Amino acid sequence: MDLFLQLLANGLVIGTFYALSALGLTLVFGLMRVVNFAHGELYVVGGLLGWALTDLVGLNFFLTLAVVIFSLAVGGYLIDRLLMSRVRGQGEEPTILLTIGLSIFLTNTALLIVGTAPQKVVSPFANKPLFLGPVVITQSRLVLVAISAAVILAAHLLIQRTTLGRSMRATFQDSMAAQLSGIRTSNVYGFTFALGAALAGAAGMLLSSIYVTQATIGDVVSLKAFVVVILGGMGSFAGAIVGGLILGISEAFWGGYMSTGYVDAIGFGLVIAMLLVRPYGLFGKQAERA
Amino acid sequence: MVFERNCLLAVLVAALVAPLLFGNQYALHIGVLIMFSVMLATSFNLIVGYVGEFPLGHTAFLGVGAYTVALLSTRLALPFHVAVLAAPFVAALFGLVIGAITLRLRGPFFVIVTLCFAEVLRLIANNWIDLTNGPMGISGIEKPAWAIAGGPLQQKMAYYYVGVLLAAVSLFVSYRFVYSNIGRAAVAVRENRFVAQSIGVSPFYLGLVTFVLAAGIAGLAGGFYANYVSFVGPEVFGFSFMISMIIMVLAGGKGTLIGPVIGAIIVVLLEEYLRDLKELRFSIFGLMVMAVVLFLPRGIMGFITRRHETYDRGAPGDA
Repeated sequence: MDLFLQLLANGLVIGTFYALSALGLTLVFGLMRVVNFAHGELYVVGGLLGWALTDLVGLNFFLTLAVVIFSLAVGGYLIDRLLMSRVRGQGEEPTILLTIGLSIFLTNTALLIVGTAPQKVVSPFANKPLFLGPVVITQSRLVLVAISAAVILAAHLLIQRTTLGRSMRATFQDSMAAQLSGIRTSNVYGFTFALGAALAGAAGMLLSSIYVTQATIGDVVSLKAFVVVILGGMGSFAGAIVGGLILGISEAFWGGYMSTGYVDAIGFGLVIAMLLVRPYGLFGKQAERA
Repeated sequence: MVFERNCLLAVLVAALVAPLLFGNQYALHIGVLIMFSVMLATSFNLIVGYVGEFPLGHTAFLGVGAYTVALLSTRLALPFHVAVLAAPFVAALFGLVIGAITLRLRGPFFVIVTLCFAEVLRLIANNWIDLTNGPMGISGIEKPAWAIAGGPLQQKMAYYYVGVLLAAVSLFVSYRFVYSNIGRAAVAVRENRFVAQSIGVSPFYLGLVTFVLAAGIAGLAGGFYANYVSFVGPEVFGFSFMISMIIMVLAGGKGTLIGPVIGAIIVVLLEEYLRDLKELRFSIFGLMVMAVVLFLPRGIMGFITRRHETYDRGAPGDA
């Protein structure tokens, strides 16, 4: 029973982290209908930037987080203006190819600059274990779970409650109507991608204070984020959270009770099963199917 | 069609006489890699160019073919031709199963799920140590008698001509396929799914047939490669082969048979030329993918055929 509770706690913690790391992906898909295959690479850029600023420059953790969010947002805006805007309205394929090209470029450029060595963001939170009954959890993880929840909530409020969020939703419902009512839609596309990139970077920076970041893990992060988003349903915030928790908990239990070798295959198995049964995920709104 | 056939025949003749001009070991090694890449690119192009979906996990079939040859020749001691001929069939079987599941999906979902399958296979290759020897891979794949006869130059020459033969067979089958009724129906589905459905074409069935054929060709390429380098590890499922395939097909021109061949030649030569640059090479490739999508969406062949067509149309007026 103690093992069960411990595994459940581990699963919930990791699941929250999965939800955080998938947030940017689900946001960009839900609003823009763009699947960002460079999502994991943006996460890695966030993590590596965080490492460089906290470890090499010695900047404060939260200041670094702000810098990372700002730079990734600017980067995301530029990616949209320079690349994505040119193929807007040409269907899915060019955007998929563009983001795959971008991911190849980012991974290898990161490799070129920092090499393959695993890096870690300097964390201000103690790595001290806390004992909650039979369950052990480190303080830093608990703090990060709280921060993750705050980030998810902030992103949700930004989209649901602010003027920018409203104009985003208006643009993606009907861009012509949005334009007619005075919304600069080209900017809105840019800001949405910027928000997605900033969330990916923030997730990378935050999670690199617990796990290590390497230039090459981008595709693994992308894949896990895809798994989370497919399980929950593309484009839904609640779906990302539920998908993240499902993945985290099933990986924790599989690793604890079965074998550790195939832990990474669990998510893919779940996705394949999910797409056969409910192709638009648990919380997907779309019902069309090929 | 005729233009494409003539181009393909010209390339075949060029491939057959090339060793007379560049008869050294290094050039022949590049030649073998080109033949391997031509097979891979042709296979990838069948799905990208004719089904119109993007299988990001296409290395699954390359890996299955490579492991088939590795296992058959090391465990069962089967000769080269049996193992290499078995590879496309095993890969096609995987293609049938994976295609039957993934072709129900479209767009990004198809991309992701094919990638999931490749990842699962990579994890199996990594973890099922009894069968695959895990990350250590399988080495010492036995080479056939013709490949160990004579000096190093003759050995390379033999592999080169076997490569030319296999690539030619792959392209011939693809050519017959693309210009058969099934191939034309596949193009109809790619161009307009609903119109095609309305005249009685089943997109799922067509996609599956194409998928199985493409998987078979990728398996053949993998089998040939495994025997040539005499080693197979889990990295055959990895992303670097995928990157090469993407560039070859996109730069060459998807949806044409000659395009990926030209793409394969360019990419292999470019990879050799940029070998000293290591990671920068792949950075450049990433930029190339983006540049092709933005500026040359139909690839080099799209550019050439457009020139060709305008020339043809212009000719009567000039006369």
